[in-house]
Amino acid sequence: MKTNDKKLLLYSIVIVVIIAILAPFLASTNPDGLESTAKKLNPEALESEHAFQSLIPDYEIPGLSKGNPLSGVIAILIGVIVVFVIAYGIGYIFKKK
Amino acid sequence: MHIPDGFIPLEQCVIYYIIVIIIGYFAVRWAKNNLDERQIPLLSVLGAGVFAIMALNIPIPWGTSGHMIGSPIVSILLGSPYAGVLVMTVVLIIQSLAFGDGGVTVLGANIFNMGIIGSFVGFYLFKGLKPFIHATPAVFIGSFLAIFIAAIACAVELAIAGIFPLEDGLIFMGIYHAVIGLVGEGVISTVVYIAINNVRPDLISKGCLDSNEN
Repeated sequence: MKTNDKKLLLYSIVIVVIIAILAPFLASTNPDGLESTAKKLNPEALESEHAFQSLIPDYEIPGLSKGNPLSGVIAILIGVIVVFVIAYGIGYIFKKK
Repeated sequence: MHIPDGFIPLEQCVIYYIIVIIIGYFAVRWAKNNLDERQIPLLSVLGAGVFAIMALNIPIPWGTSGHMIGSPIVSILLGSPYAGVLVMTVVLIIQSLAFGDGGVTVLGANIFNMGIIGSFVGFYLFKGLKPFIHATPAVFIGSFLAIFIAAIACAVELAIAGIFPLEDGLIFMGIYHAVIGLVGEGVISTVVYIAINNVRPDLISKGCLDSNEN
């Protein structure tokens, strides 16, 4: 990788980490567009259960109190790292030969 | 715009999964023919960035919020809607399996809306507008309409599933996501495009700028 490519990658990672840290503090807790529509048109539908128990439901780290923004920060940082690694792996496997 | 489990009957979920597998095949084929090794860091960091920014819900009127989907700008920067499909598929799978954001049975539908429709509409609007207007407004219009049309598709799918009445579903989903598209998707995508174009214009794929791609 060229030096200026490395520099750009480093800067973009810093920006992404800043977004991940700020998101739980800045994000609106209002329902999103789809949830809001469901609340108006079909509130019963929202009571449906998850078909699969996710590892960190609703970005709440188990053990940390509900609504603790640190929980969201950790969860989003974990997600950011996992997505980066998997996307890199997929890019590496399927890149032009 | 993440559809939760239980909103779409299983037999309809299968149809969206099949569409995603077919488009996914073409996305992998695109990568094998076009994805340059030097683009992999950009692809990965865009994926990570899309994941982070999707957690940042922007408040809009009517006690509602929304976040950008990101696939239009990823497709524009990497020069193919298939790049957006690959990145969004990774992001949506992680959101669903790790964080319960979007159901597992409806994962196909969520990838279809936010990944496939978002990427193709955003990329081809940008590409179509580019000969006539400056790239910056083309990014704004492409990204704005991409999330709007993805929301319209989502409303139609949920009407077919019998969850929302068609007309009201279209009105609410359309209005909410038009606002999210203007203040979220459109503005943020434009800022990202201007920033990368200023520091490293060479990294923006030429795929969408000249006529003889591939």
